[in-house]
Amino acid sequence: MTDPLPGQLAVGAILFALGAVGFLTRRNLILMMLSAEMMLLGVSINLTAFGRHHGNASGQVFTIFVLTVAACEAGLALVLILNLYRRRKSLDVQLWSNLGEPDLPQLAPEDADPPAAPPAPELPHLTPSGPLPKAPVGAWK
Amino acid sequence: MDDLIAQLPLLIPLVLGGLAVWLLLPRDGVRAWALGGVCGLVALGALARHFAPPVDDSVHNVLFYLFGGGAVVVGTLMITDRNPVYAALWFALVTLCTCGLFLLNSAPFLAAATVIVYAGAIVVTFLFVIMLAQQAGAAGYDRRAFQPELAVIGGCLVLGALLYTLQEWTVEQPLLFVTSPMAANPLSEPQALPDGEIIGESDLGTLRGVGRSLFGDYLFAVELAGTVLLIATIGAIALAPRRSQGTL
Repeated sequence: MTDPLPGQLAVGAILFALGAVGFLTRRNLILMMLSAEMMLLGVSINLTAFGRHHGNASGQVFTIFVLTVAACEAGLALVLILNLYRRRKSLDVQLWSNLGEPDLPQLAPEDADPPAAPPAPELPHLTPSGPLPKAPVGAWK
Repeated sequence: MDDLIAQLPLLIPLVLGGLAVWLLLPRDGVRAWALGGVCGLVALGALARHFAPPVDDSVHNVLFYLFGGGAVVVGTLMITDRNPVYAALWFALVTLCTCGLFLLNSAPFLAAATVIVYAGAIVVTFLFVIMLAQQAGAAGYDRRAFQPELAVIGGCLVLGALLYTLQEWTVEQPLLFVTSPMAANPLSEPQALPDGEIIGESDLGTLRGVGRSLFGDYLFAVELAGTVLLIATIGAIALAPRRSQGTL
């Protein structure tokens, strides 16, 4: 019987490392969440491969638990992303870098774009009425 | 030094793969697509040759290379794509390839459940991406990766440690994967189930086997998982923006 355990474990390890690199380098909040999910997928491959290797169903049961936790994590992460987006109007994670301790070294964003200015609030204004007054030309310079 | 040279079949693919990911990560200007792609494929081929399963079941091997290699390639594309919409699509493909590997591991129920759960999650994520990230075109934070050198070096160190351990395990027990999968290595000795019954090969992966293990051996864990789901639901509802706070 072919036992593909080392290959499967290698694929799981590579997916885990790729997810870690994606989590560390991407600055989009949604893509960071997807990278974390990819790490979970790598772990799930490991679990099922070991379950088959040992010939019992424990690996698949653990994968079901991983699925449960992944579903919880996705829901909570999306709610948090929605809240963060409402405050800054951007998905850039580096806008939140000031949440760290002030005495820690700051990882300065390299020439990051300035955050988009919030739209000006709709202030009430009076509608002009009557004729336009004739101002003396050049008198108020 | 000799040890280092002995590990060259592992070191070269690692360095090439790290170089490929570093070349492909988003940055300003032109990325070296061709060079990065060639480096990545060479690294993947070398690793596949290094961790090749014993060849006596060609269909199984072909499927494994298809799904495993596909998962790795598509995962690399996902973390290196500038467009978050395409990244979400690549992630869907990673999930499908993983489900193929689940099928190879005789877990058809898990494959179906993963497709269903992640399909819902991915559709929702997709809506979020289109809703939040695509309002003003490509954003600057998607066009530049954050400190790609440090992240790639760290990822290569983690992956190198994992693969080195796997390789040692494989080399020390060369007969383990050929003759009997349950022999020899004390670390991989299967624990006897509490009632002394090991589910047979025919029962592995069937709903009956999974259900017996899930609701027999792991009943308390199932209750805990249900509690976690409930708490996550309550937390999501509590954290969600109220309608009185305005919309997006």
